[in-house]
Amino acid sequence: MMKRAIMAVAAASATAVALAGCTAPADDNSEGPATLTFWHGYTEADGEVLDQIVADFNDSQDDYVIETETKTWAVIDDTLLPALSSDEGPDIVAMPAERMPVYADRGAFVDLTDFYASEDSNTSELAEQSVDMVTVDGAPYGVPTGFVPLSVFYNKALFTAAGIDEFPTTWDEWVDAAKALTIDANSDGTPEQYGLALPDHATVANGLWPSLLLSGGGEIVEGSTEAVIDSSENAESLAYWVDAVTKDKISPTGLDGIGADELFSSGKAAMHVGGPWMSFISADNDIDYGIAAIPAGPEEQAASAIGVSMGITEQASDAQVAGAEAFFSYFFQEDVATEWSLASGWPPLRTDIPLESVESNPVVVSLTEIAPTGRALLPGVVNSVDVLAAIDTLTQKAVAGGDIDELLAAAQSEIQQAIE
Amino acid sequence: MTTQTAAPPTRTPYRPPAPLGGRTPLRRSNRYRLTVIAFLLPAIVILTVFVAWPMIAALRLSFTDASGFGDEEWVGLQNYADVFTDSGVVTAMGNTAVYALLFTPLVVVLALALALLLNNRLLPGRGIFRTFLFLPFIVSLAVAAFAWSYLLDPQIGLLNYWLQGFGIQLGNVLQDPVLAMPTVVLVAVWKSFGFYMVIFLAGLQDIPGSLYEAARVDGASAWQRFRSITLPMLSNSLGFVLIVALIAALQAFDQIYVMTGGGPYGSTQTIVMEIYESGFRKLELGFASALSYVLLLITLVLSLVQFLFFSRGEKDAS
Repeated sequence: MMKRAIMAVAAASATAVALAGCTAPADDNSEGPATLTFWHGYTEADGEVLDQIVADFNDSQDDYVIETETKTWAVIDDTLLPALSSDEGPDIVAMPAERMPVYADRGAFVDLTDFYASEDSNTSELAEQSVDMVTVDGAPYGVPTGFVPLSVFYNKALFTAAGIDEFPTTWDEWVDAAKALTIDANSDGTPEQYGLALPDHATVANGLWPSLLLSGGGEIVEGSTEAVIDSSENAESLAYWVDAVTKDKISPTGLDGIGADELFSSGKAAMHVGGPWMSFISADNDIDYGIAAIPAGPEEQAASAIGVSMGITEQASDAQVAGAEAFFSYFFQEDVATEWSLASGWPPLRTDIPLESVESNPVVVSLTEIAPTGRALLPGVVNSVDVLAAIDTLTQKAVAGGDIDELLAAAQSEIQQAIE
Repeated sequence: MTTQTAAPPTRTPYRPPAPLGGRTPLRRSNRYRLTVIAFLLPAIVILTVFVAWPMIAALRLSFTDASGFGDEEWVGLQNYADVFTDSGVVTAMGNTAVYALLFTPLVVVLALALALLLNNRLLPGRGIFRTFLFLPFIVSLAVAAFAWSYLLDPQIGLLNYWLQGFGIQLGNVLQDPVLAMPTVVLVAVWKSFGFYMVIFLAGLQDIPGSLYEAARVDGASAWQRFRSITLPMLSNSLGFVLIVALIAALQAFDQIYVMTGGGPYGSTQTIVMEIYESGFRKLELGFASALSYVLLLITLVLSLVQFLFFSRGEKDAS
């Protein structure tokens, strides 16, 4: 009986240990090639192309093998922390560029200063602002996999029906077009068709309102340490767009980014500000779409840029770091960068790739043409979560009828507190 | 002549017969203990690994500036001090209190009312009603939250569409700073009242029918029977339901995360959402751990107060 009890105790303990997941992390195989795990969130056709590029890299040499794991961006953000805490995380991870600084600041990523300094890295021709997005305290902690300014996707059929031949180029023309495209057929005060889907919170990469503020001559932070959102330029820009939404009713109020996607894809909004993925969504919903730059504001034509970056996690061994850097160099070779751009629909990351090289994909051509309007959103700001939350609060309350001067003063205080 | 007397025969002291198999009571006692330990050990090991150890680890983290990787420094009570000065946390505490104050009484009253109704043997189709009313509890909370988000959507929502047929404009309730919280509370009540109703039903069926018969003979009205018999006899179930509902309210997260994401502008941000934001978005694990312990203490104190209140009520009833 005693023997049985001991067996039961041993079995229970073994089960508990197994359940606790107390497995030793996989070591590098010192004999064979170093194996690296790569998490990315490219789940559509772009993911298949990225996996193919990784497979081609694996075939091109014998020292490293990269194994990709596709997850959604949200899952990556939710699981990276516990995975790295238990040394079970990836060696390379791709994530939205605005999330990288907070991880880098906490020590999750390898400093790539030496890699960038190397001539073999193929990084010298990268768009400068795309590298700014992964730079924290002067050191780069990642490399870009995508960088594109927000752009306007518009429904050509609705434009034709409204008799609009050319896409507007200034704010005033833009609002006029949106008013012409807004239809309240039963005059109940709620349009059945909106000219523009202009979300007032949780916008795509939280970059829509910063784009408008930029175009109006305002800024949010200066030098990543000083909040400057409380300015007369920002007050005027906010008032302009709040009027357009609440008085001219060109867009529903209380709309978020996902709701805006749905409005556009269901044909209930004629224009929508988004990124390259909107081309897939539009095509899936049989919308004949056009792509244009966000029209110029009173000060300049500018748009916040969306970026995706990949970095090497601190848990990677020296061999794995070398393997990841070799992959990055491969990824930025001109032919691979061109292949990636054409397949993903994002503009080329290298500035020396000519437009003719990507002309087979009209989406890439359109986005490449408007690429110069792109501005990195909050480059180097570590606590971007609180900064963007403050902007969300500001715009939502402004559209809901709040006093703009008071809201800007409150946002100034919150943002300053967040970045100090 | 001497006479010798024989020595008195020595008597062997009485010993009880040995138990079957030759085991002594001492051995039997050891065997019993070992059996108990063997049965308890899996639970103890699992609780230690998955409950006690994480709690101890979180307590340690709450005194550090840990982010989950890299170095961490001991910061003493700084995180606890920050919890009470952080404007986001203070707002979240207020929101959680509002959520709990709306959710707990609503769900308990509704569950009790429906349990009383469905406990009536004269009601036809009681079984079907019970099943249908319990169904929302089986549905995953996230799925229910998604479904309600779509139903309430001002552009594509069926609920808005139907109400418009009656000339009612519901508007974007989930983005209205005044209506968002009551809306998520109502969805939570819809989702969970079935569970509490079943507990009340079980409690109601334990009340002897003779008590009601005696009360009827004495001429007690329905309200008097409810107040003097049902409520006191249900005090155990009521206490349990209130405590469980309050704890559920204080831990509200997934449904609100899906439906409003804490918005509009933080009006539905709860403490658990704040813990998630601090820990997983800002990578401030130390602060998030301190906030978790503050929530634990709040829950513990409120549960204890309720427990003592209902224990006293039970004594009075008996």
